[in-house]
Amino acid sequence: MTEERTSPPQLRLSGGVFTFSVLRLESLDPGQLEVQLKTPEPVKQFLHNAPIVLDFLHLPDQQLPLRPWMDILRAAGCFPVGIRNASPAQAEAAAAMGLPHLRGRELEPALQETPAEPSACSPAHTTGTGVSTEPGQILRHPMRSGQRHYARNRDLICLAAVNAGAEVLADGHLHVYAPLRGRAMAGVMGQEHSRIFCASLEAELIAIAGIYAMPDPGHPLWGKPAEIALEGEQLRIMPLGT
Amino acid sequence: MAKIVVVTSGKGGVGKTTTSAAFASGLAIRGFRTAVIDFDVGLRNLDLVMGCERRVVYDFINVIQGEAKLQQALIRDRMLEKLFILPTSQTRDKEALTAEGVARVMDELHGEFDYVVCDSPAGIETGALRALYHADEAIVVTNPEVSSVRDSDRILGILAAKSRRAEEGKEPVREHLLLTRYAPRRVQGGEMLSLEDVKELLRIPLLGVIPESETILQASNQGIPAIHMKGSEVAAAYEDVVARFLGEEKPLRFTQPEKPSFLKRLFGG
Repeated sequence: MTEERTSPPQLRLSGGVFTFSVLRLESLDPGQLEVQLKTPEPVKQFLHNAPIVLDFLHLPDQQLPLRPWMDILRAAGCFPVGIRNASPAQAEAAAAMGLPHLRGRELEPALQETPAEPSACSPAHTTGTGVSTEPGQILRHPMRSGQRHYARNRDLICLAAVNAGAEVLADGHLHVYAPLRGRAMAGVMGQEHSRIFCASLEAELIAIAGIYAMPDPGHPLWGKPAEIALEGEQLRIMPLGT
Repeated sequence: MAKIVVVTSGKGGVGKTTTSAAFASGLAIRGFRTAVIDFDVGLRNLDLVMGCERRVVYDFINVIQGEAKLQQALIRDRMLEKLFILPTSQTRDKEALTAEGVARVMDELHGEFDYVVCDSPAGIETGALRALYHADEAIVVTNPEVSSVRDSDRILGILAAKSRRAEEGKEPVREHLLLTRYAPRRVQGGEMLSLEDVKELLRIPLLGVIPESETILQASNQGIPAIHMKGSEVAAAYEDVVARFLGEEKPLRFTQPEKPSFLKRLFGG
């Protein structure tokens, strides 16, 4: 015992699995990122204090405006914690700024509606690491006025009512097997293929990938089962199950 | 060991204090040792409704701050031997309700009583949070109108997130809906939400319906809990509420408009 007390505290390392949002940069122009970050308020709230991984997949192999990007993201309230899909030179530049090069699995493909082509899938692909199978999150209790719930990187399934003044959000699809009376946002991080399904459409606001609509009680599907999808720049509300 | 019941609503003026007084009296009539506590610091009302305002020497806040013993502050009800009132202070503010202080008083009451009824202030600030924190059961008082229902919904969300039971991961607080100031005729005319509407929106078990009535006003002006107004609909409705709370089956009353009498129909009312 005495020995332990006199010895210096030991370094304790343990493993952990974390979920980060991945921001895919499409342009080298920092101004464009700044414009894109001017998102609706709810999205802004998620970005607040969120750890973000920058994805360089779509960028050419050249020097990147890392410093301005970092400044813009920090100003938006997020914490850049790493990069991915970078060239060796880019990784080195990022490391110098304290951003490690990460090789995480990506969750997004699972959420995108990919055309069904089972035969085209090579065995190597099915056993690979590309596709996530993280199931949606299930909420059994009613969401009441003033409550909000965000399912990050997955679908959200609500088994009880989402009441007026409540907010449910998901990066993937949003299913509400009860009246949807509050605010519902799917594809919060920009996944345009996400959809909203509800047993009774009475929502204050619906949104997919930041495009929103405020349905009113005069809508033909008001109070009925509905599916909502993003088509171009507009939300389309369709009857569910017909 | 006492069961702690909070009477809450979010919205003001819906009938929390009237209900706390009537419900606590009803439990005491049934022979349970009952304490009713006023959490509405600064807007002391419960003692008025219970008709004991002139007997308040020490209050809840004095006990919390160690200036008086609990026994000194508890007032025995005029009519019921098993009922005690813990009034609040008119001069302090809600910050005086410290979490530790309230917990200490609750602990002390726990051993002495069968039921502790907490009369919550309106709103979702400190006073309301303290009142619901220790609750085992909650009576959510709601009027048949949209804003009251919305506020009740909000309070139900807070009960599910911020009560002690929620924080400690225990079985959730048992929720009861009490619809008050219900006027069946105005529901029929579409001026008020119906019982079905409210049940559909809040989706918690219904404990009872208290009809809108002049009797309530008379009762509180005289400092008599409404359950003592013999022969009135309101008293009968509160008796039903207490019975249902204790697990008895009672059919709903006073939810249909009264049929005009034969003579009234003949000659016009």
